[in-house]
Amino acid sequence: MAAGGRSSGDPLSPAGVPCAFSPQSQALFALASTDGHLRVWETANNRLHQEYVPSAHLSGTCTCLAWAPGRLQAKESHQRKKRKSEAIGTGDQADLLALGTAVGSILLYSTVKGELHSKLISGGHDNKVNCIQWHQDNGCLYSCSDDKHIVEWNTQTCKVKCKWKGDNSSVSSLCISPNGKMLLSAGRTIKLWVLETKEIYRHFTGHATPVSSLMFTTIRPPNESQPFDGITGLYFLSGAVHDRLLNVWQVRSENKEKNAVMSFTVTDEPVYIDLTLSENKEEPVKLAVVCRDGQVHLFEHILNGYCKKPLTSNCTIQIATPGKGKKSTPKPIPILAAGFCSDKMSLLLVYGNWFQPTIERVALNSKEPHMCLVRDISNCWMPKVETAVTKVRTPVMNSEAKILVPGIPGHRAAIKPAFPQTEELESKRKLGENEVSIEERLGAMDIDAKKEKATRPQTNSFPVLLAQGLESNDFEMLNKVLQTKNLNLIKKTVLRMPLHAVIPLLQELTKRLQGHPNSAVLMVQWLKCVLTVHASYLSTLPDLVPQLGTLYQLMESRVKTFQKLSHLHGKLILLITQVSASEKTKGATCPEQKAKLVYEEESSEEESDDELADKDSDDNWDEDEEEEESEKDEDVDEEEDEDAEEKDENGEDRDVTSEKELNGDSDLDPENESEEE
Amino acid sequence: MMEDTLRVVHCGGSELNFRRAVFSADSKFIFCVSGDFVKVYSTATEECVHMLHGHRNLVTGIQLNPNNHLQLYSCSVDGTIKLWDYLDGILIKTFVVGHKLHALFTPASAEDSVFATITKEKPDVFQLVSVKLPKSSNQEIEAKEVSFVLDYINESPKCIAFGNKGEYVAAVRDFYLSVYFFKKKTTSRFTLSSSRNKKHSKNNFTCVACHPKEDCIASGHKDGKIRLWRNFDDDKKYTYTCLHWHHDMVMDLAFSVTGNSLLSGGRESVLVEWRDATEKNKEFLPRLGATIEHISVSPAGDLFCTSHSDNKIIVIHRNLEASAVIQGLVKDRSIFTGMMIDPRTKALVLNGKPGHLQFYSLQNDKQLYNLDIIQQEYINDYGLIQIELTKAAFGCQGNWLATVEQRQEKETELELQMKLWTYNKKTQGFVLNTRVNMPHEDHITALCFRNAEKSETPTLVTASKDGHFKVWILTDDSDIYKKAVGWTCDFVGNYHKYQATNCCFSEDGSVLAVSFEEIVTIWDSETWELKCTFCQRAGKIRHLCFGRLTCSKYLLGATEKDILCCWNLLSCALEWSTKLNVRVMEPDPSSENIAAISQSTVGSDLFVFKPSEPRPLCIQKNITREEVHWGVFVPRDVPESFTSEAYQWLNRSQFYFLTKSQSLLTFSTKSPEEKLTPTSKQLLAEESLPTTPFYFILGKHRQQQDEKLNETSGNELVQLPLTENIPEINELLHTPAHVLPSASFLCSMFINSLLLSKETKSTKEISDDVVMEEEKESVDSDEENDFIEEVQDTKNTDLEEDIIHQLSKSEEKELRKLRKVDYSWITAL
Repeated sequence: MAAGGRSSGDPLSPAGVPCAFSPQSQALFALASTDGHLRVWETANNRLHQEYVPSAHLSGTCTCLAWAPGRLQAKESHQRKKRKSEAIGTGDQADLLALGTAVGSILLYSTVKGELHSKLISGGHDNKVNCIQWHQDNGCLYSCSDDKHIVEWNTQTCKVKCKWKGDNSSVSSLCISPNGKMLLSAGRTIKLWVLETKEIYRHFTGHATPVSSLMFTTIRPPNESQPFDGITGLYFLSGAVHDRLLNVWQVRSENKEKNAVMSFTVTDEPVYIDLTLSENKEEPVKLAVVCRDGQVHLFEHILNGYCKKPLTSNCTIQIATPGKGKKSTPKPIPILAAGFCSDKMSLLLVYGNWFQPTIERVALNSKEPHMCLVRDISNCWMPKVETAVTKVRTPVMNSEAKILVPGIPGHRAAIKPAFPQTEELESKRKLGENEVSIEERLGAMDIDAKKEKATRPQTNSFPVLLAQGLESNDFEMLNKVLQTKNLNLIKKTVLRMPLHAVIPLLQELTKRLQGHPNSAVLMVQWLKCVLTVHASYLSTLPDLVPQLGTLYQLMESRVKTFQKLSHLHGKLILLITQVSASEKTKGATCPEQKAKLVYEEESSEEESDDELADKDSDDNWDEDEEEEESEKDEDVDEEEDEDAEEKDENGEDRDVTSEKELNGDSDLDPENESEEE
Repeated sequence: MMEDTLRVVHCGGSELNFRRAVFSADSKFIFCVSGDFVKVYSTATEECVHMLHGHRNLVTGIQLNPNNHLQLYSCSVDGTIKLWDYLDGILIKTFVVGHKLHALFTPASAEDSVFATITKEKPDVFQLVSVKLPKSSNQEIEAKEVSFVLDYINESPKCIAFGNKGEYVAAVRDFYLSVYFFKKKTTSRFTLSSSRNKKHSKNNFTCVACHPKEDCIASGHKDGKIRLWRNFDDDKKYTYTCLHWHHDMVMDLAFSVTGNSLLSGGRESVLVEWRDATEKNKEFLPRLGATIEHISVSPAGDLFCTSHSDNKIIVIHRNLEASAVIQGLVKDRSIFTGMMIDPRTKALVLNGKPGHLQFYSLQNDKQLYNLDIIQQEYINDYGLIQIELTKAAFGCQGNWLATVEQRQEKETELELQMKLWTYNKKTQGFVLNTRVNMPHEDHITALCFRNAEKSETPTLVTASKDGHFKVWILTDDSDIYKKAVGWTCDFVGNYHKYQATNCCFSEDGSVLAVSFEEIVTIWDSETWELKCTFCQRAGKIRHLCFGRLTCSKYLLGATEKDILCCWNLLSCALEWSTKLNVRVMEPDPSSENIAAISQSTVGSDLFVFKPSEPRPLCIQKNITREEVHWGVFVPRDVPESFTSEAYQWLNRSQFYFLTKSQSLLTFSTKSPEEKLTPTSKQLLAEESLPTTPFYFILGKHRQQQDEKLNETSGNELVQLPLTENIPEINELLHTPAHVLPSASFLCSMFINSLLLSKETKSTKEISDDVVMEEEKESVDSDEENDFIEEVQDTKNTDLEEDIIHQLSKSEEKELRKLRKVDYSWITAL
């Protein structure tokens, strides 16, 4: 299909090594590197399929290669009426690969058997073989050489069928016409031969340097009105060494015009060309030209007559390494070959070094004139022996991956702040009041805190430290406070801490709870204290749900396994602490809380407190009693009860959560939270 | 294009590990049975060189012809033994035996007969018989001369082995080893002393192998022990020694060609080589990936191969180094993930090796690779509960891959993990982006990406038995250290505590449908609001999918009570419903068509329909007798152009489906003949390899010899010219008959042209030498197959034969002798 570029010039330059995709499905890519090895790669998974070293690889390195038109390998059998076992044909599978060498011999290598099939030498060339072309139908092989001759081989017998002088200088390139009756050869001039008689049909002149590639671009003449004789009206393409122009020629009925019809301009000498044949007049020819500088130029053009100005490419593809930081600048990665896939919409790109090229399928849908692909090929140098045999690929699992465990925000949907629309009717009035009052209150508290700081510079007092730590987000200061194990101290601190610090403290605690379980144990004590002491305050906050949603989810997921027990425990604790707290607080009042905003707060808070209390009594007290009762009989029918209750509670929970999720207006009552410690 | 009827064809081949693989004599090829075919693989390239087809039923055994190593015998359940020329892939002969054949043995000692395992009266009683193969030039021969050898044997060929020079045959079954001596015509039976003891009841025999040189039988046992039996020709003095390394059943045993070492393998996936039959000298080749089912050794002794339960054959070098893997579609385990297409490589993706996803190229019918998702060492042991890869989905043109793995030891102990992989273009591989532990509290039932064309945030939905479905979105996760993206849960939805069973997005991604048992809920994918519900009270929803393109307003659901419903989303009403037991329902991504496979008592039927049309486009009854488990549409690279309405649905894509026994099937419209014809066009290229340095030395030498021979034999061997180069013949053959002069006129000219002049002879010597060589070779290889006289040069054959006939047999012998005599000493003088 695609003619291999000739190896000429610099052996260190990766571009220009002979290489070719297998015909039809492009399943394989053969590359004859300058070290004399032939490597065949699988294009679909970028795996080295096989490697072959010709016995005379040092003296006679491979100069060109060409895939045989294909073989049919797996066949279908008749379908039996009884059994439906039938294999699908795998389609054409390329097998034979012809390699031309620098000493003039031609090797036929079987990629299926992985061994040399035959060697064509007798009566052939006595100098470097420049180009090989298989005839698409009759199994003949055409080769041209520096010895000025073109040889027609019969591959069935491996003998020379015909040998004739093709030019006065070396013949550098060949191409067979789409109908298989004509042969193009390029030496000093481009000649079109009639294959049957080996007579010259046309001459074309135009390139100053040796022609490196020849290719027919159309299989039908542009105007279909005239009878088609198989060659007249067809276009073909030629590229030459050190020439940045690709010329397009048309075979005409009259032998007058010898100049190129039009030309394509590229940035450097073309080393590999592939094109999609246009099957009708409207369909443009798509052309991919790999240049020596490692870029691919794509052209899309409907060939119809003359065009004086050389056409520039529609799209240029380059590949570069990622430049990491400022130290390493991106380096270009040379593209070795490019071939169109059978759907004509994507391109197989081969890039990197010839020792371990990377093959990638790139979709061609972008309209942009320049595509720069950033590829990291640094790990391509690693030997892949293990994977080659086991066919296992291991995707990268690095530590940068995000890990979501139950309780971490993101594992469940975040509880979003309630939308004002959804809670319109019922609580509009109340909310409005509340909002104002809280703003004011928070403002007042800020002033409060400042005052406090100014009047009492008691730095090592825990409540102060805590407030300061939360305000400044000082990690060490917080550590000092939060890592205490003294339960009494915790209680006192929580009791004396300013109200505005409660939410920040809870958030800090949540963050710490998500961390290591050891530190979380300490935090649980704090959390318990905060929730029991400041339950009433928390219940007044309208935006409590979004604020403490993560904490709620965290607790829910952590205590899921012993839900029932913790429910009971939580409720009992709450009972006891509230009773004892009410007794204590009668005597001792917080001196810091100045009654600056009393007149408003009291009214609203009372109201909400009352409400809450009502709710509590409705929801929980009965249940608690029930539970206490049931606790008594627990010895008898423990399990059944547990089950039933669990269901109950689960159901309740689900109701609560679903309600919350759907309407988003129900406050998350603190009871629930404290329960589940 | 001629359109034939739609036919079901196999894809991906059958299992390769059904029987032991067989090496060719030169170790270049390896043969294995595969369904109704025998496959010939190259050991160097892993490529299938030939597929020998001709059997009409499962092929059950293959063996090299001991008399001609270029030929291969195969036997099949269809009751025939076939002889093949494997180099060219040609069937030489068919022997019709008439009984169902289950195994084949060709010991070299039995000259014109082979041994086979047959079933006679009862279907599960197997006999070992010897089948005499009559010599005849016919292509199909009756071989009814069957003589009984051993009765009541195990079906598996692993349980029968022919011993030292074919003097005896050893067969094992249950708790005893029976040895039949051909000379004495007696059978000895050995049981293990402890076998009746309940404590050791696990020492059933599993396989047997015979030492190639000595009288020694190795038997493998269920408890992992290998016993080496000697002196078994004496019923009382027999001894055995024990080798124990395997902790589980010994699956197969094989002696190396010299008999110096014994190879064994089992579920541990470790090939053990016992050197000198001692317990101390062991070599291991571990981590072979799956249970070793069979072991075979090449006749040349340089290669081993192991067949594994995951449908692969590993070719192993003598020094215990794996050199090649011939891998079919992995069929070891049940498929949980279903079949999907990787948008990037266009490969079929499904469960592969344990914990892996396999990528299988349908174009080349070849496995590309296994992607290791779980990345934990797989412990090959019976009864372990492993982590299973249960769900996978590709999203956003293959940029994202979501996988779900689970492990459940007890009812309440479910371990779930969801992994989200991103395709890194820079390194051309998948990289883990987010790992979610316990994404749901119960099994995940469905997983789907929103595959909208618009470049929105990637969205994934998981539905679970815990009654919730979760929407995961990709969010910016950057912090001060790095730029990063990660997946977070965006929404959790439920519907009345019902289990979520299916989910799917509409084609444009604007609507999400989630089925909760019997109810289908429709959610707006912008706000995640419940839009409407459909309930048909027709059983739980089993499959759910949206129509495509012009039919995108339709939603289809198949229920467990065998109802297929189609709802119109615009009117929110049921459009139509029908009674159909749908097992697989797949929408075609490139057209409006939907394929549904229904299960009936006789087999599975295929229906292809458009949701908007009441009449199905194509009904294909009884596509397979098995239950179909999964199906997928694969877009074609190059669209076909079927014109008839019944096949138009195959224009843009191809439909593949997987049955319960994990055979991958598809539809083909091409007639078998059409597929067969191009084989005649197959590129024939003769092998001619003149170029080893040895050849240069020996070739020249031989050339001289031949010259001498020619002289001595009085120029009786006439060198033939190449007819192509003679203008007279060309003229004669290429001129149309009606313009040719009369034959009598041409005759003398023609005959003259065939005569040789002195000059041509000297120039043609080299090539003629080659011709002679080839003749000799072909005589070697075609010793038996007289009927395939290779027709090389039709014009010359007659002449050639005449000349050969001129040499009498004695002369020919003399010539050969002369050839063999070394004349090199003359040159030295």
